Formats: sequence, structure tokens, C-alpha cells
Amino acid sequence: MTVALEGRGLSRAFGGFRALDGVDISVESGQIRGLIGPNGAGKSTLIDVLSGRAQNWSGQIFLDGEEITHLKIQDRRHRGLARSFQRTNIFPTVSIGMQLTVASRALGDSGLAEVVEALNLGPLLDHQAAKVSYGDQRRLDLALALVGRPRVLLLDEPAAGLTVEESLTLAGILRDLVRRWGTTVLIVEHDMEVIFSICDRITVLNLGKTLAEGGPDQVRRDPAVVSAYLGSQA
Amino acid sequence: MLIQVLNGVVYGGLLYLLAVGLVLIFGLREIVNFAHGALFMLGSYIGFSIAASYDFWLGLLGSLVAMTAIGICLDAAVLRPLRKHDHMVTVLVTFGILLVLEAFATAVWGKSYRSMTPPAIFSGTVDIAGQPFPVYRLFVIAVSLCVAAALTAWLRFSRIGLYVRASSVDPTTTAILGVDTDRLSLIVVGLGTGLAGLSGVVAAPLMALSPTMGNFILIESFIVVVVGGLGSFSGALVAALLIGQIHNFGAIYLPWASTMLPFLLMVGVLIWRPSGLAGKRT
Amino acid sequence: MTTADTRIDGPGFRVARQRNGRLVAIACIALALGFLAPHLIPSLLWMSLLTQAVVDMTLATSVGILYRQNGRISFGQAAFFGLGAYTFGVITVREFGSAELALVAALVVPTLIAFLLGLVIARIPGVAHAMLTLAVGQALYEIAFKWRALANGDDGMSVPLPDTIFGIDSDFFQSPATMLVFCWSLLVLTLFGLALMARSPFGQLTEVIRENDERARFIGYGTTLPRAIIYGVSAFIAAMAGILQTLYDGYISPQMLHWSASGMALIMAIVGGPKILWGPALGAFILFFFKDIAGDATEYWPALVGGTLIVVTLLLPEGFAGLILKLLARATGRADRGRS
Repeated sequence: MTVALEGRGLSRAFGGFRALDGVDISVESGQIRGLIGPNGAGKSTLIDVLSGRAQNWSGQIFLDGEEITHLKIQDRRHRGLARSFQRTNIFPTVSIGMQLTVASRALGDSGLAEVVEALNLGPLLDHQAAKVSYGDQRRLDLALALVGRPRVLLLDEPAAGLTVEESLTLAGILRDLVRRWGTTVLIVEHDMEVIFSICDRITVLNLGKTLAEGGPDQVRRDPAVVSAYLGSQA
Repeated sequence: MLIQVLNGVVYGGLLYLLAVGLVLIFGLREIVNFAHGALFMLGSYIGFSIAASYDFWLGLLGSLVAMTAIGICLDAAVLRPLRKHDHMVTVLVTFGILLVLEAFATAVWGKSYRSMTPPAIFSGTVDIAGQPFPVYRLFVIAVSLCVAAALTAWLRFSRIGLYVRASSVDPTTTAILGVDTDRLSLIVVGLGTGLAGLSGVVAAPLMALSPTMGNFILIESFIVVVVGGLGSFSGALVAALLIGQIHNFGAIYLPWASTMLPFLLMVGVLIWRPSGLAGKRT
Repeated sequence: MTTADTRIDGPGFRVARQRNGRLVAIACIALALGFLAPHLIPSLLWMSLLTQAVVDMTLATSVGILYRQNGRISFGQAAFFGLGAYTFGVITVREFGSAELALVAALVVPTLIAFLLGLVIARIPGVAHAMLTLAVGQALYEIAFKWRALANGDDGMSVPLPDTIFGIDSDFFQSPATMLVFCWSLLVLTLFGLALMARSPFGQLTEVIRENDERARFIGYGTTLPRAIIYGVSAFIAAMAGILQTLYDGYISPQMLHWSASGMALIMAIVGGPKILWGPALGAFILFFFKDIAGDATEYWPALVGGTLIVVTLLLPEGFAGLILKLLARATGRADRGRS
């Protein structure tokens, strides 16, 4: 297995608070990697750093073995590194069809039809994004990340705000799509059911550091994880 | 040299009085008030009219009171109803108010320049470092320093001051925490406008009164607010004194470029630090 | 799979082509009206007023396009208006080059400056952006005001035209009957060009960037360059208006660059409705004729403008153009219901 995405010594501080404190992460090609941890563990910060959104951070990032540490957001995207957002991040007054068309103009339309079909956006293409339901907006957010068949996908709580049923459906759709494409995925999700149902491997962050890493069962049984995270929920 | 520095402080002090009003209003309502220069002008004329019939001090007081009342009306009648709109819309409305106020002043006081004499006890000069310096200018410096000190103390030690500071950092959260931002805004906009009136009267003996007298100083106060960092009180003080000096020394050493220097400073600061010297938000 | 494909590309394109047809038709009618205007308008004074109004409409359009395609509000648009006027005037009067060269330079220089400026300030949103444009505009005003050797400082300078420009008799530019047609045609072509641009992939991209700059980068676009290009386009149109005014008046003054002129242009755009392409031009037209109505009380025209602005922002968030569209939609809706 080759490594698709690798971060070395990733750190980011806000004032005195270390949101990310020397995290190493390496995701193998084709793997679906879960990223969990209590609130404030640094999950979203890690996604922001990897995707190029964060500023003032240190460390190195490699995509398929090439260093992308200093690349801008859009250049990372063109190299095949895409992301979705925890807070829906779309183009409110633009029609859904036009958003996807503009995106595919930059990234190529391979897989666009597949994405539209899988996420059931077909009937909504003429609608303004702000005027469709929240669930539809979440799927649009995801679709914008999937345009052009990215090789590595960073998902920041794709099911945030959805009902249990909706999030499991979405997880199923996502899993099928990325398995078919062989996409590498790093997914942050609070819903443990989603995480354990789709992930091959899980990284646990706590207080900006890697607490544990392993297969779902291994992580579930790790005493440190249980006390730091799962314990608080049980 | 010292005289020049003092002249810079005079102008910087006046800028501070205006700029701090802008900062107060920006903190609560997140808008830059284009009408602020016109309010300064209005305050100046009100002071001028009262001083002409009675005396300077009554003019100063009358203008302060009248402008505070106008500020409260401005908040209640315009800014509050517009708070849900895009902030730029509100900014444009204040621009409309500016035009209306200028026309109003033209109608009442006419277009010709008026001048106001400083009160008798401040006429004359004192020697500073061997050179004469008008006493009135020292008074202007004293007024702005007193306002700066009082405002800082008020913001730091009073409950309302705490709310104002909190609201300037994060209005939404402050409102959620149960602070009545609408009442707060009445106080703050009233105070800011009152200070515009105060500075208008204080500045009146130093400049000619005309319906457009507020325009130039408004733009320079904008620069102060932006350079200091939108919403920052201490930043405004530092920036006002800085621009006062630049304005003054520029006029002496680079007369052909003096009026441009503040603009260049602002462009430079915004490119270097988009949120201003002390600001966190853009 | 193919069904989704056709949904995105197929009918959409057909609709676009139909609309382009309608656009060409509207532009042709508007041009024809312009050519008829001198025969329909009896008084020379009215033609002269209209010419001035069309220049204002062009300037307001330049403000509007910056808002429409960039989401930015400029408080310094008069800078590019005046820069066009000054570049033309100074080169012609100081004989740095021919009037033809001056004309080209007066279009190129403001466009280029705005483009470069756009590269720097495009990222800065909201109030800070408004302040920056204000500062840049005032800085240029100060230059024009102070630098007497350039164009007589605050007195302004008259700009006598040579006998011909590009082989066209100069009288053409200074007689209301011909200049009205010329300015109007340029405005119509400008709006037509902007409408085409808005529908092009580039126009769609700028719209997407306006809506959400960050997400636009996350779908693979650099956002600075497209924004800077819109600044350039906007300044080009403003400069064009400035040149037209200089040709017609034969006079330049620092007032052309003053921030109150920028403010007026902005108000015209807002009153008309900047979300609609022709809204700013409509706003300029309406406000210009307010001035005429104000008549002897012209001194209070700004108050009238300010009052209109306040009323419009409070009551008509989409401006007069939005109101017209809404009324039209209601009328056609009623007609449709009547038919069925």
C-alpha cells in the first residue's frame, strides 16, 4: 500500500492554546480513515491545515509522496485533495446546477453525473442553493467536494445536523462512491455509528495530540481512548 | 519643534474625539457612520449659534446635549430598524443623512464661511520653549485628553463600559448573554454623537464653519479608525495622535504630499495588516 | 448517468442561446431609439441634459458591475472617472501626444491601475474595502487638486479638442445631437457586453466568487485574478464616462475625482438596483431628472438625493429596477392566468 496523504509534525497554536501539537498522520491509498476525539481535540484544525485553509501552522504535508506544504487551497484541489465543511459552505444565490458546472469546469466533469445521481441532486439543479432544505444543502456541500473525482477527500462532519437515518444513508452513499472510485478518505464525525460502519482505520486525537490509532475494534477497546473520549459519552 | 509636536497633538486630539465616536458606533452597530462629519458640522453650528447669543461655555454644553439627543434619535429611528439589513445598506443610509444634513445647514446658516472666537480667558498666547503658543490650543489638547481618560475609565470600570467592550468584540454573543444591546446602542450612539458635537464646538475657533467643514476631517477620522483597527478604542487614540503628527509635519516638510500621507499610511497598514494596528476583525 | 449530464448541459445551453437572441433584439431596439432620439427630442437643451445623464448612467453602471460581479462597494469610483478625464486632458493639452493616443491612454491607464489595485485589495471585504477605495480616490483627488503644473490644480483646465479625432470632426463630440447618440450607443453596447460577460463562464465564475470566495478556492479557482479583472472592467467603463464628459464639456477639474462624486455614483447605482444589470443606469437616469425637477432649488439637490436614497434603501431593497421587474412579473403573471 502506498501512502496517499501524509502530515508530519503538524502544529498550530491560537495564542497560548495548542490546537494541534505535533501530529503525524499517514493515510494509505484507498483507505477510509476516521478521525475522532472529544471537542477541542484538534480534528477540524487538522482538516483545515491539510486542506490549506489554516494559516500560521507548522509541519509538512505530502500528497502521493509530493510535498504540498506551501501550496494554496486551489492548487491542492487541482492535485486531487478536496474537502467538505462542517458548516455548510456553498454559494447561496447561485443555482445548484451552475455551482456544479463551474466546479467541473475547473476540475473536469469526470464523475459529475455519478455524483449528482448518487446524492440525488438531479431534481434540484435549477434551484437556488439557499432555497433548498438543509439536508439538500449538506449533500450539495459534499457534491462540491466530489466534483472532478478527487483522489483524497477530507470530510469534516458530513452528517452534521442530519437525523440518524439521514446520516446513515449518507454514509452508505459515500462509502459506495469512494470504494468504487478508490478515493482515500479522512473523515471527522461525531456519530460513532457512522465512523465504525465505514472506516477501515481510526485515529484518535486528544488535546492536539494523537492518542491512538488502529482498526475500529482495536480503538474501541483501547483503554486510553475509552477514558478520554468514549467514556465521556457512555 | 515642540510647538510643532503640540500642533500635531491638537489636531490628533480633535481627530480622536471624532474617531472614538465612530469606533463606539462601529462596535455596537458594525457600521461606519458617514454622517459623523455632518454631525460634527451640526454641533459646530449649534455651538456657534448659542455662543453668538450667550457665551462659549453655554454653546459647548448646549451642543453636547443637543447632539447627544440627536444621536439617540439617530439610533432609535435609523440604526435600530436597519440592524437586520446588510451593513453596507446602513452605511449608505448614513451617507444619505450626510447629504440631508449638509443641505439643512445650508438652509439655516447659509453657505458663507463663519468664524467663532475662542472665549476671552483662552485668548492670547503662552511661551513654550521660547515660542508663543495659543492658549486655546492647550485647552483643545486638555479637552481631548480628558475625554480620552474619562472614556477609558468608563469603559474599563463601569458595567455599561464592560458591556460596550464585550459587544465590540462579539455583538451576537453579548446579546445572547442577556445584554440589552438596543438600550446599550442608544447610550453609545448618543455618546458618540455627543462627542462629535463637542469636538465640533471645540474645533470651531480653529477652523472656518461651513456646511462642508466635516468632510475632510471625517475622511481623516475614517483613516484613524481603520489604521487603529476597526472597533479598537486604544488603537484609535494611537492612530489619531500618529495622524495628527503626520498631518502637521507633512505640512511643513512635504507640503506637496501632506494631504496624501494619511491615505498612504492607511493603504500601507491595510495591506500589511488588514485588521489595523490593534484590530482583530476586518 | 447520461440523464444527469443532459440536465446540466443540454437545456441550459438552449435557454442561454434563446436569451442571447432576446438580448441582441433588445440592444438593437435600444440603439435604434438612440438614433431616433435627435429627431424626437425638440429642444437642444434637453438633448444636452440627456447627454449628461447618459454619461452619469455609464459611471453608475461601472459602480454597479463591481457590486454585481464582485460583491464590492466602491466609495472611490470617481477616481477612475477622473483619471480617464485627466489622462486624456493632460496628454492633449500638454501635447505629450496626439488626441488619439490620449484617448487610448485614457482608457488603458485607469484600467491597468484598477487591475493592479484589484490584485492587492480584492481580498479585503466590507467596510475596510469601502474605506480603502475612498482613500485611494481621495489621494488621486489631492494630486489633481494640489499639482498646479499638471492641470491648474483646483481651478481645473479647459481641454480644447483638435479639429479631428480618429478622423471624426470634433464638433461631433461637442454638439448635443450627435454626442447624445454616440454616448447612448456606447452605453447600450457596454450593457450588452456586460450581459454577455455575465453569462460567460468567466461571469459565472465571478458570481460564484462573489457568493463565497473561500469555497470558490476549494473548487479549484484562484479568486484574486478574476476579481482584479472585474476591477479593470469597472474602471474601463468609468474612464470611458470620464472621457466622454471631457470631450463634451472640454473641461476637467478635480471635482470629477472628489469622493462626493463617487458617493453620488454609488447612490445612483443603489437607488436603481445594482443586482440588476441595467439598474444603476436607471438609478442615474432617475436622479438626474430629479435635479431638473428640483429646478431653482438645485442647492438642495443633494438633500433630495439623500432623501431618495434613504427611502429607497428602506422600502425598495432591490431598487427601482427591482420594483419594475416585480411589477412586470405581476403583470405577465396576471396575463398568463387570464389566458389559461
